[in-house]
Amino acid sequence: MTLLVFIASLLGAMAIGVPVAFALMFCGVILMWFMGMFNSQIIAQNMIIGADTFTLLAIPFFILAGELMNSGGLSKRIIEFAIACVGHIRGGLGVVAIMAAVIMASISGSAAADTAALAAILIPMMAKAGYNVPRSGGLIASGGIIAPVIPPSMAFIVFGVAANVSITQLFMAGIVPGLIMGLSLVATWLVVVRKDNVAPLPKASATDRLSATGRALWALGMPVIILGGIKAGVVTPTEAAVIAAAYALFVGMVVYRELKPKDLPRVILQAAKTTSIIMFLVCAALVSAWLITAANIPAEVTRYIAPLIDRPKLLMFVIMLLILVVGTALDLTPTILILTPVLMPIIKQAGIDPVYFGVLFIMNCCIGLITPPVGVVLNVVSGVGRIPLGKVVTGILPFLAAQICVLMLLVLFPDIVIVPARWLH
Amino acid sequence: EFNERNIRVSNGINADHPVGNGINAMQTCLDEKSGGKLKLTAFWGGALGGDLQATQALRSGVQEAVVTSSSPLVGIVPALGVFDLPFLFANSEEAYKVLDGKFGDMMNEKLDAAGLVNLAYWENGFRNLSNSVRPVNKWEDLQGMKVRVMQNNIFLDTFQNLGANATPMAFGEVFSALETKAIDAQENPYVTIDTSKFFEVQKYVTETNHAYTPFLFLFSKAIFNTYTPEEQTALRECAIVGRDEERKVIQELNKKSLEKIKAEGLEVNALSPEEQERIREKSMVVYEKHKAEIGADVVDGILSELKQIRGK
Amino acid sequence: MQKTIDLFYKFLELLLIFLLSGMALMVFVNVVLRYAFNSGLTVSDEMSRYFFVWLTFIGAVVGFREYGHMGVETVVALFGRKGRIVCMIVSNLVIIGCSGIFFWGTWKQLPINASMSAPVTGLSMAWVYGIGFFTGAGCVIIALERLVRLVTGRVTEKELAAFAGEDMSLEHLSERG
Ligand code: NA
Ligand code: NA
Repeated sequence: MTLLVFIASLLGAMAIGVPVAFALMFCGVILMWFMGMFNSQIIAQNMIIGADTFTLLAIPFFILAGELMNSGGLSKRIIEFAIACVGHIRGGLGVVAIMAAVIMASISGSAAADTAALAAILIPMMAKAGYNVPRSGGLIASGGIIAPVIPPSMAFIVFGVAANVSITQLFMAGIVPGLIMGLSLVATWLVVVRKDNVAPLPKASATDRLSATGRALWALGMPVIILGGIKAGVVTPTEAAVIAAAYALFVGMVVYRELKPKDLPRVILQAAKTTSIIMFLVCAALVSAWLITAANIPAEVTRYIAPLIDRPKLLMFVIMLLILVVGTALDLTPTILILTPVLMPIIKQAGIDPVYFGVLFIMNCCIGLITPPVGVVLNVVSGVGRIPLGKVVTGILPFLAAQICVLMLLVLFPDIVIVPARWLH
Repeated sequence: EFNERNIRVSNGINADHPVGNGINAMQTCLDEKSGGKLKLTAFWGGALGGDLQATQALRSGVQEAVVTSSSPLVGIVPALGVFDLPFLFANSEEAYKVLDGKFGDMMNEKLDAAGLVNLAYWENGFRNLSNSVRPVNKWEDLQGMKVRVMQNNIFLDTFQNLGANATPMAFGEVFSALETKAIDAQENPYVTIDTSKFFEVQKYVTETNHAYTPFLFLFSKAIFNTYTPEEQTALRECAIVGRDEERKVIQELNKKSLEKIKAEGLEVNALSPEEQERIREKSMVVYEKHKAEIGADVVDGILSELKQIRGK
Repeated sequence: MQKTIDLFYKFLELLLIFLLSGMALMVFVNVVLRYAFNSGLTVSDEMSRYFFVWLTFIGAVVGFREYGHMGVETVVALFGRKGRIVCMIVSNLVIIGCSGIFFWGTWKQLPINASMSAPVTGLSMAWVYGIGFFTGAGCVIIALERLVRLVTGRVTEKELAAFAGEDMSLEHLSERG
């Protein structure tokens, strides 16, 4: 019954247009009232304690690093590097898009920002070369959502804090699944692009290639610093994030000289605003998470799915379907925040590895970014690439199908995630 | 005179910690006294928030109870810093006598003034030092060693004063920091060294017994005052029943953990009585430095009570 | 009047820039000190967290003013003008209620936070947790002003479009994922 009150008040408030953060506060108020323990201090205390967490400090720094990467010309160098490497093969620009998406994913954690940078440069090029535009847009959108799966990732940090799982382990576990996502997209692309009549780009000469690599080297150094530092245990994720931001600032201002001092306030302000939007949501979610726990809602949910507890794969399958459905309508961070406190106790009880679950959970939420009706990355591609939303949706279908297949593959064979994660950690 | 009460008890540790045994014993006792009306619902692993957050929730009457170490609460009751002072208690018997006696009552009054009813002092255990560099036989051996400590000024000063390089670090990061030699040493009760598998990445363990920070079983004063006198008495008495069980289990577990650490091939040593005395004397400056903020009456009070106990 | 308000938000934006830069600087200096000089500032660990709290809750008001907080506009977008206005009225009432409770809770908690000090800096926690006054009051005021304009029929088309999630800027989209 408490579960019903929780869902109804949350969905009701969101349906009439209340922003998710306030809707979460509202459903917290309703839950308190329903449980006969209304106390305004529960709201006040849990709201602020959410932001008073050192681990979450990684979020603004990674956001800042991502903003600096895009304003400092790092993204451009990465794309040029990918073109020099694989631009000449058949369907080359599509492969370029995914290769660049994967590299950018290892620097930034924002799907929307990465997609925007990719779409702005590559969609005009692909249109000119004669590729099917909606399909190109679909490919870039599906490539963009790799960003939160490959570290660094705000999504993993939010999940790690909400579920009390090691962020370093989540980061290491995300690498291989992220690469598999990329490979599946390349494979799908090479199949569907056969119909397009496109002349491949001329093969870059060895010197061109070398100089493109040289220019991109500074940008390519960033994932090495981030992952290397965390992997070696030299820095915590928060420290790695601030080093990444400092590095991006240095490269953008001193090496590439695309970032001018006068741009800095704008870039920092944008990162600050993005941070507070995400963090306010995190804080509001912690209010309802506290009440969900105090009301013992997970026990209620566990009762409903008790028959599945002994069959972890089937349970994972059902949960993944549920998240796919939720993801059609809800953005990445809200999905993580709303579902984690409800699902985590069940996952633990079923004996499923929380890191493995986290990776699939985030991957699934990312797929939600490209499913209509609410799909932020769809909007980005449609806006930046000037393609009608409906056409992007058709263009995306084969890639969406490929990524859902990857997800199901990982449900069937958890070792694909678990084994390399153990090896990398 | 007993009403249906659901008492939510928040814990930072996990259910398999001896506190779990203590809570079960307390519940059995409460069932007998209240005819099953007083129910404890324990939340483990910080599910209802960290210790400090839970304690603040108690003070505002939002939540009933918490089992927390004294250290995080010094921002609320500065006098609790007395338990962070190095080499205060020599053994558990001393700690029991002081905590369950007059001094413990005096601290309870201070907690009461902050809106917290302390039902009983449970056990967290003595903290000991492990490292990967060399055996520590005298305080000089700590020279230059990178030791992880809690984010707590007294712990920081204690190790810095002994010549170590004290580094505050979140608990979750300690293992990998030890593994990669980003830090050399850490200090925790044997049970934690065991359950967190620190023995896999450490070579030496020294029984320093440098701190005994008790667990407090705190109840919200705002809520406690709405309970009937019978309910209050039952809670106080059963918290003591739980305390005795928890202390018994943790003592046994402590021995088992030490055996396991030895079996894993770590070199375990204790400080000789002379070195114990030297390290204690060396640490007295920390007492002086923090005396004012803890309260001179508190520090002098506990020292004179300990003197009395040791004099017998 | 409008000028003063705009100036006030400009000031808030400057504050946000200061807070984020300050946080980054403190953490960065600490990393450098730790690995290069084997020392560290215990203060920066704590202060950066408090900067983070202030950043979050000041930015939340700025974000609310710009319709930046993410919502699910699927249902609202289906309605015509009238339907959207009704939804927007109810939605603002909900926001006023929640923000009001946030403000009130901060007030009731004030004595508890004022009597607790930060472990390292000794700063009274009222300074940290008191930010609830600003955010609670800020959101109530913005929502009230919107409510008045909605009821008196002075709401702009642009606002209604923003409420229904139409024409979102790239910045707004990137805040969502
Ligand atoms: Na990423
Ligand atoms: Na979606």
